[in-house]
Amino acid sequence: MSTRYYDVIVIGGGIVGSTIARELSRYDVRVAVLDKASELPSGASRANSGMVHAGYDDKPGTMKAYFCPKGNAIYRSLYEELDFTLNKVGSYVCAFAEEEIAHLNLLLDQGRKNGVPSVEIISGDELRSREPNASKEIIAALWAPTGCIINNFEAVLAFMDNAQQNGVELFLETEVLDVLLSQGEKQVVGVNTNKGMFLAPIVINAAGVHSDRIARMVGDESFVIHPRRGDYFITDKYVGNLVKSFFFACPSEAGKGITVASTADHNLLMGPTSIFQVDRDKTATTAEGLKQVIEGARRLIPPIPVNMAITTFAGLRADPDTGDFVIGILKKPHGFVNVAGIKSPGFTSAPAIAQHIVERIKDELKDLVEFKPNRKFVPERKHIPRFAYLTMEERSALAEKDPRYAQIVCRCESVTEGQVVEAIRRGARTVAAVKIWTRAGAGRCQGGFCGPRVMEILARELNIPMEEVTRHGGHSRMLVGKTKEYWFRGSDHE
Amino acid sequence: MSDITVDVAVIGAGPAGIAAGVGAKEAGADRVAIFERDWDLGGILQQCIHPGFGLHVFGEELTGPEYIHRWIDRAREAGVEFWTNSMVFHMEDDGSFWIMNPSLGIKKVTPKSVVLAMGCRERPLGALGIPGTRPAGIYTAGTAQRLVNMEGYMPGNKVVILGSGDVGLIMARRMIWEGAQVLGVYEIMPWPGGLRRNIAQCLDDYGIPFHLEETVIEIHGKDRLEGVTVAKVDKDRNPVVGTEHFIACDTLLLAVGLIPENELSRMAGVEINPITQGPFVNELLQTSKPNIFAAGNVVIVYDLVDWVSKEAERAGRNAALYAIGQLKQVARQIRIVGGKNVRLYSPQFLSGQSDATIYMRVTQPIEKRCKAIVEPGLYERQLRYARPGEMNEAHVKLEDLKALGDIEEIVVDIREA
Repeated sequence: MSTRYYDVIVIGGGIVGSTIARELSRYDVRVAVLDKASELPSGASRANSGMVHAGYDDKPGTMKAYFCPKGNAIYRSLYEELDFTLNKVGSYVCAFAEEEIAHLNLLLDQGRKNGVPSVEIISGDELRSREPNASKEIIAALWAPTGCIINNFEAVLAFMDNAQQNGVELFLETEVLDVLLSQGEKQVVGVNTNKGMFLAPIVINAAGVHSDRIARMVGDESFVIHPRRGDYFITDKYVGNLVKSFFFACPSEAGKGITVASTADHNLLMGPTSIFQVDRDKTATTAEGLKQVIEGARRLIPPIPVNMAITTFAGLRADPDTGDFVIGILKKPHGFVNVAGIKSPGFTSAPAIAQHIVERIKDELKDLVEFKPNRKFVPERKHIPRFAYLTMEERSALAEKDPRYAQIVCRCESVTEGQVVEAIRRGARTVAAVKIWTRAGAGRCQGGFCGPRVMEILARELNIPMEEVTRHGGHSRMLVGKTKEYWFRGSDHE
Repeated sequence: MSDITVDVAVIGAGPAGIAAGVGAKEAGADRVAIFERDWDLGGILQQCIHPGFGLHVFGEELTGPEYIHRWIDRAREAGVEFWTNSMVFHMEDDGSFWIMNPSLGIKKVTPKSVVLAMGCRERPLGALGIPGTRPAGIYTAGTAQRLVNMEGYMPGNKVVILGSGDVGLIMARRMIWEGAQVLGVYEIMPWPGGLRRNIAQCLDDYGIPFHLEETVIEIHGKDRLEGVTVAKVDKDRNPVVGTEHFIACDTLLLAVGLIPENELSRMAGVEINPITQGPFVNELLQTSKPNIFAAGNVVIVYDLVDWVSKEAERAGRNAALYAIGQLKQVARQIRIVGGKNVRLYSPQFLSGQSDATIYMRVTQPIEKRCKAIVEPGLYERQLRYARPGEMNEAHVKLEDLKALGDIEEIVVDIREA
């Protein structure tokens, strides 16, 4: 297997890895991002609430309290430039009893100290005048207008896409097996992976739920990640308008509790639960978890119907035992950087953390790599055209230029063949990746109609047999063979 | 983006749409055009290569493609225009709509009347809230049918089928024919979802185990499906503790219900019946919008395609009459109310302009002599049994209805005799 040479290796292509990659791409340095999944985002950046938190949840003085409002401001200023969907909908934390009002006051105070703009407490009636479906049991709510809903898939893709445009290289299905150290273990020299060696004097650990294991590879035992699972429901768009903003109940020890929100694409999102588990890869939902979600969501928004679910999913938060983000440049080995345990509000904080850590790396590790500005850095990028949201004139213009934009593949989400082909051109290799890039298969029939079409286009564009198309890489093949093969081959198949 | 002007526009070229086109031409409409998103005509019947179609319409047993080609020929002879590769993606509330077509781009269609014939789609896994992982190897039965019958690919080798809708039963047999193992069909309800004849011909004849009141409660496997956990359910459909067991399989096919596909109807502001999930219609198959008609599985999910064709032909005829100004508008309609054992029925209104056929499904099966009735005193027919998987019909004569004078509602039901 080959050996490749870089200045910086980023382990993990979630929101942390992708925002860091984009920050690094401002400099004339060779950067490789490695991710073991077959498509980005995977892990916690894929399965979460899609919330850009305002920043009142965390105690002043913590890293979370410091980075969250800054991250919020970065998303709000960058979403047009990087072309990901962000809706400035605001968020409510709801109090159902007098004693919870004290909690709202605490959050209000934290919010002000953390520099969150315009937070206020409103009455239950005021809430219901804005959001008529909110429960009558809610007596007061904390309103934070800077809370946003984001398409978390698009955000990760946007940062990484832009980083790649500016020279960063992305390696998928590339799992780090070991971090390589110099003799005497004083200096990082790279990583060993299933795809060969990647050598670099700086290695950034942004491996999410696996980040403590990566840290162990260099002897850092300062933190442990406990995966904490969250189960979610997504409903049909018909009921996506039951709420306008993000709804939270008062938080508990376990987290911010069950939320209800209208997603960036106007489905209703409910969840998450908060359940510790041992397995770091298993994102299976449980019956108990899904029941909790429905109950929690209906406590906030009673008219939510039960028969409108189109899918359920679960994500694993990387919950560190330190209680706060683990961000730092190790003294030994030199060149190893942790950006780990970026649990909620981790997605929100990520772009601020990325700016912070890259500034520090530039300064503290300048003996290892020279950070000269990348003169060719282009800060903006465009997403694949979102056909469903275009005007009739824009659609017409696109279709005229390329007739594949007049061929609908996914009926539910109005995704055209042009979009699917462009997603593949930008690196989508699996059915799941096409869905993440374009929403083909994300609608109410969940790929029933477009599934075979997407497989066909993947096979055609990648020049592989249909049987080799996978759902999400690895052994997740969609088909087992051609019909009639069995009768020619005999009964030798398993 | 120039306009296309037609008399009757039909959306969808499946069995409903093609019969509607035939009906519209028969009734004298000049320009009748059917818009189809697929590149070929026939809708779901293209992939229904098994026999069992046409006994009522043609008096003989045909395969799906044979059945639909007879209708396509009739439509061609009648002078119906076919627009394939033409997806209707937006509909205005006046019934005009937008299509896109790779060679023509985006066009607006302005019809005098419209027949909605978009059919239905399959309920996906996500709607069931089954816990577990999300591996490859889980398909709705119809998607698997397309892969096997039209594309020539095998979705898997060891198959479990969840739900006993007709497509699932048909696919159980089909997978056996292709050399797969079908380990069992699991139905959460105490009765089958599909036709009895399909249970006999597709499961019993091949020794495929059929489990009633048993369902999949967990899905296993990270990349490809590795197995499912099944369990018996109690009368509230909750899993019974202690009955769970694991079945190793690489494929799960879902036949857990069909949902009328009414996104365009909703865009046009057509009122949707929350029970059938199709438009409210009267006996003319006219929706809440006088110029918009609807027929087939977009209105209510039928058991036999023959009924779909007959109803759609009528919808097309009435749409033509509307387009040429021969359909009278009535101010007030008679409401049809479902009785205790009938939730799913169509139409829901009578305009009092023609005889009516009412299609209905029972909620609870009756496995003995029973009767289909329309009250007060409009119809009664003896039945040997009534099953949720099979549709029953009732007929109301216009003269009988008129004899009742100024009534507001009538009741349809199926009761023990």
